[in-house]
Amino acid sequence: MIEVHGLTKRYGDFTAVRDLSLRVGSGEVLGLVGPNGAGKTTTLRCLAGIIPASAGTIHLAGHDLTATPVAAKRALAFFPDEPRLFEYLTVRQHLNFVARIYGVRNHETIAQPLLEEFEIADKADQLPGELSRGMKQKLAIACGLLHGPQVLFFDEPLTGLDPLGIRRMKNSILQRARAGATIVLSSHLLHLLEEVCTHVLILKKGEKIADGTIPEVAARFSQGEPTVNLEEVFLRATGGTEG
Amino acid sequence: MLNALLYLRLTSFRNWLLSRVRRLRQPKYLIGAIVGTAYLYFFFIRGFTPHPQQAATTRPMAELQDVLPAAVPADWLPAVAAFGAIALLIVATLMWVVPFERAALGFTEAEIAFLFPAPVTRRSLVHFRLLSSQLRSLAGAGVMVLFSQRWTFLGGNALTHAVGWWFVFSTLSLHFTGANFTLTRLADLGVGGWRRRGLVLGGVAAIVAATWLRLSAASRTLLPGNDANFSTLTNPAIDLTTTAPLSWLLWPLRQVLGPFFAIDARAFWLALSPALAVVTLHYLWVVRSAVAFEDSSVEAAQKRRDRLDAWHAGGRRRSGPAQGRAAPFALGAGGRPELAFLWKNLLSTWPYFTPRVWLGCAGGIILGAVWLRTQPDLRALAVGAGGIALMFAGYTAVVGPQFARQDIRSDLANTDILKTYPLAGWQIILGELLAPAAILTGVLWLTLLAAAVLVGSDPVGPAWLTAPLRIAGAVGLAILAPALALIQLIVPNAAALLFPSWFQATRTRGGGPEVIGQRMIFFFAQMLTMVLALLPAAGLAALLIFILQWLIGPVTAVAVGTAAALVILVGEFTVAVWWLGGRFEKLDLTAELRS
Ligand SMILES: Nc1ncnc2c1ncn2[C@@H]1O[C@H](COP(=O)(O)OP(=O)(O)O)[C@@H](O)[C@H]1O
Ligand SMILES: [Mg+2]
Repeated sequence: MIEVHGLTKRYGDFTAVRDLSLRVGSGEVLGLVGPNGAGKTTTLRCLAGIIPASAGTIHLAGHDLTATPVAAKRALAFFPDEPRLFEYLTVRQHLNFVARIYGVRNHETIAQPLLEEFEIADKADQLPGELSRGMKQKLAIACGLLHGPQVLFFDEPLTGLDPLGIRRMKNSILQRARAGATIVLSSHLLHLLEEVCTHVLILKKGEKIADGTIPEVAARFSQGEPTVNLEEVFLRATGGTEG
Repeated sequence: MLNALLYLRLTSFRNWLLSRVRRLRQPKYLIGAIVGTAYLYFFFIRGFTPHPQQAATTRPMAELQDVLPAAVPADWLPAVAAFGAIALLIVATLMWVVPFERAALGFTEAEIAFLFPAPVTRRSLVHFRLLSSQLRSLAGAGVMVLFSQRWTFLGGNALTHAVGWWFVFSTLSLHFTGANFTLTRLADLGVGGWRRRGLVLGGVAAIVAATWLRLSAASRTLLPGNDANFSTLTNPAIDLTTTAPLSWLLWPLRQVLGPFFAIDARAFWLALSPALAVVTLHYLWVVRSAVAFEDSSVEAAQKRRDRLDAWHAGGRRRSGPAQGRAAPFALGAGGRPELAFLWKNLLSTWPYFTPRVWLGCAGGIILGAVWLRTQPDLRALAVGAGGIALMFAGYTAVVGPQFARQDIRSDLANTDILKTYPLAGWQIILGELLAPAAILTGVLWLTLLAAAVLVGSDPVGPAWLTAPLRIAGAVGLAILAPALALIQLIVPNAAALLFPSWFQATRTRGGGPEVIGQRMIFFFAQMLTMVLALLPAAGLAALLIFILQWLIGPVTAVAVGTAAALVILVGEFTVAVWWLGGRFEKLDLTAELRS
């Protein structure tokens, strides 16, 4: 459950996100879309408590991110566009480290299925340097899922993956959503978003242009045409086409 | 064609310069630049106390006529020139011995992407590289002039020195490229690897040995008797370098050094043309011997990029470790999360920082020290070793934090992830400080142990330094050591958090005055905080010990003083970590690194 009211993020005089409000219920997947520089990453970093918002309130799983950051962070996981790993920890040691940070008691019994789900169980004693990009991403996700977060943020989760990787990633996301997690992700790959997201929010220059379920948003921009895909909606909404 | 390359070089340089200048709009960079420039100015260009010699350094070319003669006995010059030639010979030899890859001209990835597919001849590419290295030679000459400014014994002036350094750098860089090309040729002919190394080293060694044998017995005496003075030490070197066949090998190198060592204008002009001839020959050699270097350049650029990536990601310059390691201790899921950082950061450093190794060292130190103390003949040595141990402890406390950096400084790239952890900022800071603090504490304890056993060996030391007092003092310092190490580590970590981009800049090469200024500011900040943090603790402890020793005896007084100092240090550390944690929560690394 995510509730955001009036989120604003300023960098000096520049406003990267302006007065953004949104609400995502459990089991829902919200796709943030928008051209480069629209403020998707900035929004996600604010929501994950990485950078403080300039204004607005953020509630994650019932916790106010500003007032009780530690409780809110206990409920969330954030996956940056580039997997960030510790160069010197093996796959298993990463999970061990994260388990201690989050105080996950029986972490071995959780870690092993995760490693298997992401097919890195046989790499358990390797360092990140020996892993391919896709595997690094899997490891980062396994680390994030270890504490069973209720709120998940993915920044461009599908970039850089091969088709099989994309399929697996989509399945993992859908599976967490079905299990009741609240998910926000950003992506450029619009046709893939259509398969994963229940809702979309279109950002342009830091402002919300449209949001709602995919059919709702499509209806707003369809201009009477019966079937309009997300890409067309996106182009129309952000003024990408001449029309 | 060369015009385009020249354009690329010059615009890149200009943009680099502009971006630096633009950065000065931020006050922290501006202050750094001002301090750095002032430092350079006072230390190198002007000197704190201008004395007559230095006036000459700023004279223009027109006054080359009356360059000051060497200020120090002229018999220094041959010795210095001899050592210079030997140094050049060693560097040049290494250029033939060390490389084990094919010639790669050090292109960047972007240059490869743009230039290699372009319709450019190989020769133009070589010229392009040479042009780039010329820029570097010029910069190197400029820097070295500043540094050699104070070698007044050399004679000459800033201009002759600049030209002299330019000859040295240019020759070396040309020689490096030429050697690389030639080695690649040789490798293709089947003379590569260890065989080539053996040949080169054997050849040079044979020449040196032959020369040595031809020297008179007097020149061969390396260790003079009691009448040691400067010339008895340097004469063998001078004789060696002026005797054939080594003198033949050194001849071109001496020509290169000629302009630098010229003591007056006449000598300078005379030295100029032979030096030019050597550089020109080098240039012809390089251009003539240019071999296919494209493949190896691509590979080298790739490697360099990987290294850079690894550094950006993990904060270390070397390529990553090859294999995972056993953990330093078992990390259970329960317990303070801060210890997880200790565990993680210990994994990032040498595997020797384990209790077992420490205990082994401690045992060895005790055995050695006790043995030393029982040797009546070696009393002085024992006391000396104890003094050195104490000095080393002080050194560790002061500069140790610069070496033990398994903390925020190597984790900056991961701040985004660290900030999503359900921990308060101060917890992350505290956790990150633990590993280097543990390492420094370990070193401090070992040195204190050595000092405690060795210093004040009873018959020699002062009477009041009784064994119980010595032990009490050592134990007291040992108790304070962790707090001291933690406080010392605060400063560089605060610097990394407050000025991340400075911090990045100070770790990369090629800093301008602002980076030098930043380093100095950091250094002074470190010293100042150390003094400010330690003064209250040390003052109170000293006062308590001084007063209480009359009442409760010196040993108990030391214990009380230690406790008081510990309370103050821990209090200071708590405030600092709490404050730094707040800074960490507000830090936006991307914002900092954009500028
Ligand atoms: N740290 C920062 N300082 C200043 N401007 C920033 C910073 N981070 C992002 N921006 C600006 O904010 C805007 C939104 O960036 P971002 O959120 O990364 O966009 P997106 O992820 O949608 O491509 C961009 O114009 C970017 O230049
Ligand atoms: Mg982005």
